Amino acid sequence: MKRIEEILLPEELRYSADHEWVGPEGDLARVGLTDYAQDQLGDIVYVELPSVGAHIAQGAVFATVESVKSVSECYMPLSGEVVAVNGPLSDNPVLLNQSPYGDGWMVLVKPDDPAAVSQLLTAEGYLARLKGGV
Amino acid sequence: MAELRKTVLHEKHVSLGAAMVDFGGWHMPLQYRTGIVEEHLATRKGAGIFDVSHMGRFIVRGSGALAFLQHVLSNNAAALDTGFAQYTMIPNGRGGALDDAYLYRFTPDEYLLVVNAANRDADWRYLHSRLSRFPEAQMADISEEMAMISLQGPRSRSILQEAITGGVLPEPLKNALGAVTIGERKILVSRTGYTGEPLGFECFLAAADAPWLWDLFLEKGAIPVGLGARDTLRMEAGLPLFGHELGKDPAGQEIPIFACPLARFAVSFSPLKGAFVGREALTTQFAAFKKIKDEDYTSIEDLPRIIMPFAIRGKGIARAGFRVFRGKKEAGFVTSGTMVPCWKTTDEGLSTRFTGEREMRAIGMMLVDSRLKKDDPLEIEIRGNRVDAVVVPYHLRSDAPPHAMPIIRRDPEDFQKPVSNAWQEKARDLLEKALQNTRWRQTECINLIPSEQTTSPIVRRLSMLDPAFRYAEHRSLRSYYDAEVFYYQGTDFIEGVEELLKEEMARYLGCREVEARVISGQMANAVVFSALVDYLNREDRKTEPRRIRSVLNNHMIRGGHLSAQPMGALYNFIRIDPRTEKPAVVNFPVLPENPYKIDMEATCRIINEHRPELIIFGKSMVLYREPVREIRDFLREQKIEAVILYDMAHVLGLAGPCFQEPFAEGADLVTASTHKTFFGTQRGIVAGNWRKEEKQYALWESVENRTFPGSVSNHHLGTLLGLLMAAYEMNCFRDDYQQAVIRNAKAFARALRDTGLQVAGDPAISFTETHQVIVKVEYAKAVEAARRLEENNIICNYQAAPDEEGFTAAGALRLGVQEMTRFGMGPEDFRSLSQYIHDAVVGGRSVREEVTAFRKRFLAMRYCFAEDMFTDLMEKLHRLI
Repeated sequence: MKRIEEILLPEELRYSADHEWVGPEGDLARVGLTDYAQDQLGDIVYVELPSVGAHIAQGAVFATVESVKSVSECYMPLSGEVVAVNGPLSDNPVLLNQSPYGDGWMVLVKPDDPAAVSQLLTAEGYLARLKGGV
Repeated sequence: MAELRKTVLHEKHVSLGAAMVDFGGWHMPLQYRTGIVEEHLATRKGAGIFDVSHMGRFIVRGSGALAFLQHVLSNNAAALDTGFAQYTMIPNGRGGALDDAYLYRFTPDEYLLVVNAANRDADWRYLHSRLSRFPEAQMADISEEMAMISLQGPRSRSILQEAITGGVLPEPLKNALGAVTIGERKILVSRTGYTGEPLGFECFLAAADAPWLWDLFLEKGAIPVGLGARDTLRMEAGLPLFGHELGKDPAGQEIPIFACPLARFAVSFSPLKGAFVGREALTTQFAAFKKIKDEDYTSIEDLPRIIMPFAIRGKGIARAGFRVFRGKKEAGFVTSGTMVPCWKTTDEGLSTRFTGEREMRAIGMMLVDSRLKKDDPLEIEIRGNRVDAVVVPYHLRSDAPPHAMPIIRRDPEDFQKPVSNAWQEKARDLLEKALQNTRWRQTECINLIPSEQTTSPIVRRLSMLDPAFRYAEHRSLRSYYDAEVFYYQGTDFIEGVEELLKEEMARYLGCREVEARVISGQMANAVVFSALVDYLNREDRKTEPRRIRSVLNNHMIRGGHLSAQPMGALYNFIRIDPRTEKPAVVNFPVLPENPYKIDMEATCRIINEHRPELIIFGKSMVLYREPVREIRDFLREQKIEAVILYDMAHVLGLAGPCFQEPFAEGADLVTASTHKTFFGTQRGIVAGNWRKEEKQYALWESVENRTFPGSVSNHHLGTLLGLLMAAYEMNCFRDDYQQAVIRNAKAFARALRDTGLQVAGDPAISFTETHQVIVKVEYAKAVEAARRLEENNIICNYQAAPDEEGFTAAGALRLGVQEMTRFGMGPEDFRSLSQYIHDAVVGGRSVREEVTAFRKRFLAMRYCFAEDMFTDLMEKLHRLI
């Protein structure tokens, strides 16, 4: 396991308390799992992603990520419609471990409310929560 | 929450950055920084170390120890010889498991029982409660003072081998135990583990020494493995885990022990166990189990569900507790399941190798309807979706040491081989290939397989004359004063041939009787074993015949041939020992410093203890004479009646003063194949030396009877005719040939040693007394070395040395000089050959062309009658065929 100070948290992203990150891209937003979450899960061996076109509300389950030992559900950090999913993840789920903010992204969504992004945690805020043992 | 317990290695785990979890009240590493997948793969490719000190270790001792263990455990502790371990269950009265465990017997008067960590306290309380009925047994909990580190994987052997400073590794047998020292520290070692690895050791040592040993193993390249990979490794190996495949099922019902595939090995109904806990329930389960395997489901309610491995064919991972469906019907539960990594393999058979790539597969075990069979399609419910799965027989095999091989289910291919009707083309093709093969082996290769021989041109010609197409069954009839009566006409010639052959072989071996109709050495042994059973039961034909009570032979790993083993020709004829519940075979002990030589002193002790009815000498990896005379003298002195059989398959052609004379030394029977060091066609013989008036002559009559009609009807008259000529050749050229073979073998061994290769045996006698030379190449590398030699036209075979786990782990080559001696090679020629072997095996140099040219110097066969001695007759023969 990484120590807290080893966790990568890009400044330009926003974070949810459930360990998802959101990266605004114009009027879309890319969503994935944080470095902290992938490290805690360990080797990710299976990922189940939603269908393109699905509308998922904030806080609802949008994906399931499985490691050798456990099954974890991923919660949507902001309501919106899925416009793309990261296909290569199905065959190569370890991308989630290797590149959580790059090739390991999970879904691209069109947020219902573009302003909702700004209500998510900043890197600093998320780190504070991690240090607080959440 | 109570404080979690820590093993003596706790600090090591934490400092290695392990993710620590609560495991049954213990603070244990789930995984290290490498992660579960890497830890799993590293164990399969290299070596993993596991801290298993959290498991419970109980000592049971005292004169009542055995009775106590027989009562509380499911396996037969009386079958456990000192130096071995066994898997066992702690059953409850209902035939369920309180726990599964391993019982070790490092010393004669003490047993060590290792139980699961999570059940440690409960097991102790339970066992203690039962102990009061066995006042002569004592139990001690040594879990704290003794630690346990498991070292598993293909490199485990070399890691341990390099580390030890005293003692030797346990013999290469499953569950074998030993004691070694590393530095000044004493460590008990067992060839056990729970990963499915064919090579793996558990090390037991003083708790205070455990951190030091842990670091030593790490230093030598072992990878620390946490509970996560420990679970995937055991799951891939199909091994049960208490709480999953044993104990309660996901619905809270007790899992019957016989639902578990390993139960057949862990439960014994030996009378020696008495009324042990759970006996009645387990007997019922076992009866149902046997019926189910026979597709008789009338008792299925006694064992409605069985644990089976499955593979997911669709997408997803099945986890413990998920429901399994067969069609619409619910069939059971997943008991363990996850995604498990494995190394990909390529090529086939012995050429199978790992590509270095990896893959993941979703697999597991399930408790399902006992009627399911392998390849049955299933569905498993994964978060509301039904996903396709299939019953598989296993996920992993451990029978190709040093590697555990992943077995990935492939759907049967619908591939049909094209069928051709071009018979003439096929005939031409076959002719060409046969020609090419014979030209290659006879004129381009150096043939060094010790069990082969080329016959002389005359023997070859004779073998395909008219008798090759005929029958000549015969047996003696008492009504005609034991005259042989033939069932067919036109057999006078071959009758005469058989008589002459028997005379010639009897003269060669110095014995009274020969049975020449057996058509192989293996059949010769089968005939003798069958005859002995016949003889032992000769006065009672109305009851079930008893089998041979006890046999002393050479162990396979020390060169014994499979035909003299229960797995070979002895199979039907050896009793199952009620104590060990295994075939009643004991093996010749060997000298610790020379495993190719029988230890006489220890053998005498074993004979006294086991009173074998049959003693079988003879090996297929043979460097020394067998101590026939010594054993005969000992039997005489001790007034022990046993039949001494010498299987001379390899050394028949060496019989005589140069090597040994079994009948003069006291053997009762000799069996052999006739085509290794002997000059014959591919056949067998049995020879005996009892006089007609001796009691045991009835055994000889049984030999004849079990040959015909017992084993042959047609006894292959073509090669019988060829063998007679070969016997003439042998009796004519014997002395020169035998001396040349032994001289060449010794010279070959010395020359190989001089090239730097490691030659087995005693250098003081030039390593060998036979036609064989054993060269050690490198552990598990002999298959490759033998293949490389074949590419260079040198034909020999790879051989597992006595300390190696099996033929796939072979590190030695077995070479025989007999055939090339016959083609005229002398000591200097074998010296040249040894250089070619060295250059090909060690230097990786291609010597194929040099070897081919070298062979051209040795094409004319010696020690046989030349065709030009009989030009007139040979011409007629050629014209005839």
